[in-house]
Amino acid sequence: MNIVAVTACPTGIAHTYMAAERLEKAGKKLGIAVKVETQGAMGIENELTPADIRNADAVVFAVGIAVQKRDRFAGKKVIEIPVQDAIKNAERALTKIKDELGC
Amino acid sequence: MKASRLKQYLLSGVSFAIPFVASGGILIAVSIAFAPMTPAGPDFSRAPFLKLINDIGTAAFAFLIPVLSGYIAFGIADRPGLVPGFVGGYIAGQVGAGFLGGLVSGLLAGFLVYWVKRLRPPKYLRPVMPILVIPVFSSLIVGFVMYKIIGAPIRDIMTTIQHWLEGMNTGNQVLLGIILGSMIAFDMGGPVNKVAFFFGAAMIQKGNFSVMGACAAAICVPPLGLGLATLLNRKLWTDEEREAGLAALAMGAIGITEGAIPFAAADPLRVIPVIMAGSSVGSVIAMLGKVGDHAPHGGPIVLPVVDHRLIYVVAILAGTFTVAGLMTFIRRRAARKKPDKEIL
Repeated sequence: MNIVAVTACPTGIAHTYMAAERLEKAGKKLGIAVKVETQGAMGIENELTPADIRNADAVVFAVGIAVQKRDRFAGKKVIEIPVQDAIKNAERALTKIKDELGC
Repeated sequence: MKASRLKQYLLSGVSFAIPFVASGGILIAVSIAFAPMTPAGPDFSRAPFLKLINDIGTAAFAFLIPVLSGYIAFGIADRPGLVPGFVGGYIAGQVGAGFLGGLVSGLLAGFLVYWVKRLRPPKYLRPVMPILVIPVFSSLIVGFVMYKIIGAPIRDIMTTIQHWLEGMNTGNQVLLGIILGSMIAFDMGGPVNKVAFFFGAAMIQKGNFSVMGACAAAICVPPLGLGLATLLNRKLWTDEEREAGLAALAMGAIGITEGAIPFAAADPLRVIPVIMAGSSVGSVIAMLGKVGDHAPHGGPIVLPVVDHRLIYVVAILAGTFTVAGLMTFIRRRAARKKPDKEIL
């Protein structure tokens, strides 16, 4: 299964990137393809392409602030969690999403 | 609407405003640091280049409230929210409603546009909605409300608070220090923090530098103290927290209280009282030591523009160690209570 994610924290210099790293790592462990876009103080990095989003089974927002360019995700299943949850336990977050989707 | 959602909108605005605070505050501080100091403040008459830097910093600072307001609206309504948000924020500054006014105008603009976006206009109108109808009418409404309805009351609230703080300034300095320190730390760059901060900045204009001096010490204590705590006893913190601790130290050094947000977001009920105590310690010491700050910015970085530098350093250190010590104590107790569980 495919998941795309966006991470963003208020200051955008540490937690945004830590959350992204955790989600990618957890994805690898669980055999889920996870691509993460970071919206930090440097702006949008590793931006999700329209194809990425189209092919994703679900979208995860691990955010403490509003997501930029949110309209890209219209019509997708979006799960929103606090950045802290992605950092503390990305695996649990991903597993839960997997169960919810039933695949 | 959920409170967490509202907080997310407000933090979106803060997130975009932080670099403006840093840019403006630091440029102003640098220009003052190198200009000859007179009793009436820095003298730029023979330093045109420093004056230029000061002007640029002041320009960056002037965007603070419009950007805050604009990106709060952006957080709620996406792109169409920007125009009324910026316009409302600018007006908030113009009518003296300040940071608080900017928060209100941002929310107002955001929700207004969000609501308009959900209308289903006739097909021929649809293309002109985002570039004509929404920006024009939402600005008109937000602008009218800010100028004619809520701008003045918010300004009055701000001035009432200022008068109250000013009255205290001549009275009880310790109490004023505690209030300023607590306000600065309470929401780490949010509205309460900015009320104290702008009060300090306004007092500089009036030739009173000690209020800003107290604020300047308090501003850097939360991120510095939490950062130091992660260094003091590394076992008590997760890898992520240690990493965030270094970022917090850097932010504290340049006077950005927002560096403490990640820690407080994870454990607000314990972290916020601790940093309020630490900042209060810092600002009270600064107040009693007659520390004066000539720039509208805080943290170690403004040391060159501070009067009574040694006491300023002592104030920052005392506050920082208060936070680090209390945090370590609390963490250690929590770790002892549930030894098997990983400390989050």
